[in-house]
Amino acid sequence: MTELILQALYSGVLQGGSYALIALGLALVFGAMKVINLAHGELVLLSAYIAYSVEAGLGWNPILAIPISLVVVCLTSAMVYYLVGRIKKDREINSLILTYGIGVILTNMILLIWKADVRTTGSTWMQEAMVVGPFYSMRSEVLFFAVSLVMMVGLWWWLSRSWYGRAVRAVSSNRDAAKLMGIDPGYTELVSFVVAGILAAVAGVALYSYGVVSPAYGSVLTVKAFIITVLAGIGSIPGVLIGALLLGVAEALTVTLASSALQELVGMGLFLLVLFVMPNGLFGAKGRRG
Amino acid sequence: MKFNKTIIAMLLAVYIGVPLAFGSDNYLMSLLVASLVIGGVALSWALLGNLGGMVSFGHAAFFGVGAYASAILSMKFGVPVLISILLGGVGAVVASLAMFPVLRLRGPYFALAILAYAHIFRILATQWTSVTGGAGGVSNIPRLPELFGYDLSSKTGGYLVILTIVVAFAAIYQYIRRSHYGLALRAMHESEDATRVIGVNSTLLKGLMLLVSAFMCGVVGAFNAHYINFLEPDYAFSGLWVTIPIVAAIFGGYRTITGPIVGAVVVYLIDQLIFKNIIPSGHQLVLGVLLVSMIIFSPDGLMPLLRKLTRRTHVAT
Amino acid sequence: MRHLSGSTRRALQLQMSPQEDLSEIIKLTSETKTMKTTYRRIGLAALVACGLGLSAAQADELLVGVELPLTGTLARVGAGMHEGIMVAADVFNKKNTKHQIKIITVDNESAPAKAIAAVEKLASQGVLAIDGGYGSNNIAPASDAANKLGLVYVTSGGVDDSLVNSGRKNFFRINNSAGYQKAMVGLLDDLKVKSVSILYSTKEATSALAHELEKTLKPKGVTVVVHAFDPAITDFKPIINKVKLQDKSEVIAMVGYENDYVGILRAARVLKPNVKAVVGVWSLATPKMAADFPDLMPNVYGTAVLPFPAEFKTPEGKSFSEAYQRIYKKEPDYLGQFGYVQSMLLFNAIARAADKGTLKKDGIAEEMRKTDSETLIGRVQFSSNGDNLNFSHRMGQHQGNKIVIVWPQADATGKANFPGVPW
Repeated sequence: MTELILQALYSGVLQGGSYALIALGLALVFGAMKVINLAHGELVLLSAYIAYSVEAGLGWNPILAIPISLVVVCLTSAMVYYLVGRIKKDREINSLILTYGIGVILTNMILLIWKADVRTTGSTWMQEAMVVGPFYSMRSEVLFFAVSLVMMVGLWWWLSRSWYGRAVRAVSSNRDAAKLMGIDPGYTELVSFVVAGILAAVAGVALYSYGVVSPAYGSVLTVKAFIITVLAGIGSIPGVLIGALLLGVAEALTVTLASSALQELVGMGLFLLVLFVMPNGLFGAKGRRG
Repeated sequence: MKFNKTIIAMLLAVYIGVPLAFGSDNYLMSLLVASLVIGGVALSWALLGNLGGMVSFGHAAFFGVGAYASAILSMKFGVPVLISILLGGVGAVVASLAMFPVLRLRGPYFALAILAYAHIFRILATQWTSVTGGAGGVSNIPRLPELFGYDLSSKTGGYLVILTIVVAFAAIYQYIRRSHYGLALRAMHESEDATRVIGVNSTLLKGLMLLVSAFMCGVVGAFNAHYINFLEPDYAFSGLWVTIPIVAAIFGGYRTITGPIVGAVVVYLIDQLIFKNIIPSGHQLVLGVLLVSMIIFSPDGLMPLLRKLTRRTHVAT
Repeated sequence: MRHLSGSTRRALQLQMSPQEDLSEIIKLTSETKTMKTTYRRIGLAALVACGLGLSAAQADELLVGVELPLTGTLARVGAGMHEGIMVAADVFNKKNTKHQIKIITVDNESAPAKAIAAVEKLASQGVLAIDGGYGSNNIAPASDAANKLGLVYVTSGGVDDSLVNSGRKNFFRINNSAGYQKAMVGLLDDLKVKSVSILYSTKEATSALAHELEKTLKPKGVTVVVHAFDPAITDFKPIINKVKLQDKSEVIAMVGYENDYVGILRAARVLKPNVKAVVGVWSLATPKMAADFPDLMPNVYGTAVLPFPAEFKTPEGKSFSEAYQRIYKKEPDYLGQFGYVQSMLLFNAIARAADKGTLKKDGIAEEMRKTDSETLIGRVQFSSNGDNLNFSHRMGQHQGNKIVIVWPQADATGKANFPGVPW
């Protein structure tokens, strides 16, 4: 039994790391602009399908798809930003519906281009087992867990040290004051969308390497990312990692100890629990209640 | 409620005119029934958004609970179909009571919390095999009965039933809006703090709107179950019961009462009769494009847009 | 036609194409070398030309409606089935001069309400029967609509038993979950397996099959452990770990769809549970899976109608395969095969009813009930409720880059590699 639980914990942690990468982009934009990009999951999915085309069409390792993904996904993300910027009133609600519609468009585009078959990497290197002590995993899972951590550290550094990063934080806390200080809020918000695109691109390639994708999967990803964002609380990058790990481990434990049919239930239950008990999330700033 | 001539004329047209003109064309009648189901959900969604001020992404929860409740009541307990449809609405209300804790959440949180509920209900329906038949679903759900010798399970019969449901709900919506509840709710939107100061219990009001919205959506879901006669969790709680009503409501104008209904019928018919024949594989994409365009150019929907355009021509002359 | 010689009459009566008739007759008549022969030649040629004109006029067009999910969640299966139906129409039309089948397709977008609307649209366009459908949720209301309109409904996409137990008179299906279960249980019997872990997706068709499997295996003294999983799961390691450490079964049975198989096999390759075989159901023992996932497939079993490379022994099988290659440039998969079989049975029934002139008087349903044919999936007969009780699938195994039929023994093209797993 302990062996089962330990393996579940290990798998859960690895899975959580990947979830964190998927959720970071959504959390960043939410923190910066108070806008929830419901098309974020579709951006990740788009990147995964680009990785598929690269591998199936050119025969390259999916990692080499990252540069192409970056370009495509960042452009798409910028377009989402542009459209969101065109909303004249009730931005919070209307941006929800707008990005929802964009998500529908992206999902159907993916369906049209790549058809409805399920896709995943055929690369043996990615799928090889990696045994660390008594723990089993796929090479791709460990690899992208490490990548995820690196990107999180990078993002944290960027937000706290670089000019644009700090500008993003300034704009999100007080837009007008930031404007007075010479920061162009529009451009800064665009930057945050593009960075979210970078994160989504890498997350998508990772997803393609360790998991299976299908056109309908985009909305599932968005929901997971949002759950993690809520768990984390606004404006907290470490919170996203902790929230993601929590979700991953909870899912793995539920499957192991209870039934695997309840895996999705865990995420939803956790989400609602946090909303009831700690609406600010685990690490969020105060003042979030309606 | 004012029964002016336009309303009476419209009611006559849809109750008598449409069946007379199109009753023999089964295909068109099927489309109309399906679009009115969407219209009913869109109406309940818009009601929650307008009067309750809450956008929800999980109305599929109410739809599915209503459908299952009615199916189970009529099959396992022999409740007559028309009554079980109403009880289906009650079932959805009971489900919405479980959502009360999330009422105090702000916009996006509430919207996605309701979505979480929809997922949970779907998984419950899949797992609670003894009651809901599990993933295999419920088959041979009883049809609509005969009423005064008229077979309601016929195409036109089904049309008349869903039409009555939608018209009744529109009337209820109008009634609430005109009542002092509606006044309180509108004041609440302007400033929740101010209304709280004068003693309006905003959370209670919002809760009432959630109950009403849930009831309406549940009844529509129940009707659909008895019309299709087969129910399974993925279908009852499908994301399509969220997406298409939202598109319909936004398109038709979600601040008005007739907007969501007209939007649903127009969008559905144009999609099925025109777009489907032009772009067989991609026409659902068009719905997304429609939604995006409407939000950007005319967030209040098609009606205000048309009004704006006609007003301009008036001024020009 | 009385003044024609016996051989000429026979030549005309054979199911040859008009051009073949013509050349055969000219060959026969050129053997005599008198003036009479010349006149006869001209006379016969004129007659044959009339016959050509007549037969062209006689090739009537029979409309068949197809409603399938071509978009939405079931798009993949709908598209596959559609291919089979179109191939069937092509093969039928080539062989038949008297009747030509014309297919009208309407997408039901994986939605029941649209399936009903599709049936009604097709009915208004004058189709004689409805072919297609996938998913009991969609098939139930659609076949009811067809029934109300007096149209026969033929499908291979609905395994729920309520479809045939609800008194539908015009409903016919060529497969059912019992057939899949018979195949899996048969294989497990043959391999003398003592313990099985069944992993199944909580979707309609897969749950039904998994429960039936459990009910059939337990009385035989086989230890069965079932694990249900949510269709959205991608990481199967926790489940496989349970199988490895707790169940310790001999065989893993997977009841799901492609993404589930891939996930399970991947997790198994990492954790390497001590099992002797991995058995799945539909969409697994296919050349496509072998091509897309060569590392995951070796020795895996799945249901399969035909081995790969397919060795078609019957002329029908040959024309099927040849037509599929010509039109779609690929090997048929199980969806295409089912779509083909159901359609050919339907087209033949329609043709027979047309010949008897009973098209408008429930003739098609009558002819369908009289069906007794050997098809690619075995012998098909319809019971009074429209079910094909003979249906029993076959099991294939991935061996090398081939798929070998290993059960039932009568149809086997090779021996099973047992024990054998992809790692």
